Amino acid sequence: MWKAIIYKEWKKTKWFNIGIWMVAILLLTYIFMKIGRSFRFVGMEHLWDVVVNRDQFLFRNLKYFPIAAGIIFGLSQFVPEVIEKRIKLTLHLPLPKHRAILIMIAYGLILLTITFTIHILTTIVFVQLYFPKEIIISMIFTIVPWYISGLVAYSFIAMISLEPTWKRRIFNIILMVLTLDLFYISDFPGAYRFNIYLVILISIYVMPFVFLSVNRFKKGIQD
Amino acid sequence: MENIIECKNLTHYYGDRRIYENLNFKIPKGRILGLLGKNGTGKTTTINILNGFLKPSGGKCLMFGEDSGNLSPETKQKVGLLIEGHVQYSFMNIIEIEKFYSAFYPKWKKEAYYGLMDLLKIDPKQKISTMSCGQRSQVALGLILAQDPELLILDDFSMGLDPGYRMLFVDYLNEYVRTENKTVFVTSHIIQDMERLIDDCLILDYGHIILQKPVDELLNTFRRYRFKCDSHEPLLSITDLLHPATIKGETEVYTFLEKNKLELLLKENNISIENLIEDKLSLEEAFIGLTGKY
Repeated sequence: MWKAIIYKEWKKTKWFNIGIWMVAILLLTYIFMKIGRSFRFVGMEHLWDVVVNRDQFLFRNLKYFPIAAGIIFGLSQFVPEVIEKRIKLTLHLPLPKHRAILIMIAYGLILLTITFTIHILTTIVFVQLYFPKEIIISMIFTIVPWYISGLVAYSFIAMISLEPTWKRRIFNIILMVLTLDLFYISDFPGAYRFNIYLVILISIYVMPFVFLSVNRFKKGIQD
Repeated sequence: MENIIECKNLTHYYGDRRIYENLNFKIPKGRILGLLGKNGTGKTTTINILNGFLKPSGGKCLMFGEDSGNLSPETKQKVGLLIEGHVQYSFMNIIEIEKFYSAFYPKWKKEAYYGLMDLLKIDPKQKISTMSCGQRSQVALGLILAQDPELLILDDFSMGLDPGYRMLFVDYLNEYVRTENKTVFVTSHIIQDMERLIDDCLILDYGHIILQKPVDELLNTFRRYRFKCDSHEPLLSITDLLHPATIKGETEVYTFLEKNKLELLLKENNISIENLIEDKLSLEEAFIGLTGKY
């Protein structure tokens, strides 16, 4: 049965998923070409000076990709469930309580995690060709919160989409914006070195929020 | 007889607005019950409560003996649900949606679905979102037939359908439920369709049930009388006479009384009439007679 739910989710999100992958590839290609071009034009020494002494970060273009990917993927998956209240069909499937929603959320989070992990690993593989371990670790502590924010945004979009009332939906949007702001406090290299656990904790904390919306829908709460 | 659905003291309010209070009804196994009511009387509310999409303000509904707010997967497998507007996963095509649902129902009858789909004469790879309302209704019905549920809940099945598709839907459904001894709970705006389908009717007015009885019994006992009289005003105070009105000099009333009893009643109330005519009613006319035109 879980395979059938995955099949349904894939039908909704296939083209959005392909789109996210294409943007991911184009974005990395652009960044790698830009850095390679800098190597050739200003030289390795100057680039090193910029990165090490002036704390410049070469991967700022990655900043909003994960959050955009999380929001778009979430919308592509949950908006079709909300149109004409199709979520009723999903909730009527003969599965234990919340199982269908759990599989849907797991599908989205796993697919996004795979995409983001490959993206981060590819970046690391490229960076380790030119920079030492310290710089790589610093870079990881900067970009990982951005990617986690993509997962958090996805969880919030699921919650917001399935919420049955507009008043609470708007409140949830404000909550999402304020929470996501925590992931963009600073893009100084290694800025999240000492509070990365907090960032991970937030992402786990918000995952079950979608069930609040589902329970409210099942109670028949309306505007 | 075993009751498939049982609602006890069902009460629901949207904010301060009362939909109904202490609603009680049962649907025995193998019966087809039509829920009739004007807009806003709580038909869809009742369907939502039955399927666990709405928590009632009071009372409870049991389906196969389980609380409708917390149905087990085994019970959900026995319930075929048609949502108002024949809503389905419209991002799928005919083949994909059959493949999807077949995974959830052990008694899945693929041939019942494709038998109905063959009548549509459309490309099996056409997405449901690009189909007409009539075609979508057949897809939704085909999926329910393939599921082979013991109980069918159909919310306003005739919504948006032209007469041809309405007839196709009713004929197909009628044959299926009678052959397979299924229990059906159905609502529809178009009462002519219901007359051809249902065994029992439950007529809702704002806040309460007017009656629940077999359609045959209703149509054999409920009548409209037309006659000439000076004014219908005195009729308004007689409780056995429903919705008296005078149209173009002719007065009409609806009642369960037989002709001779009506004459006696009018005589007792000193109301003189002429040209008394008794009309047999269709279900739609009986519905109007019970609920009023307005």
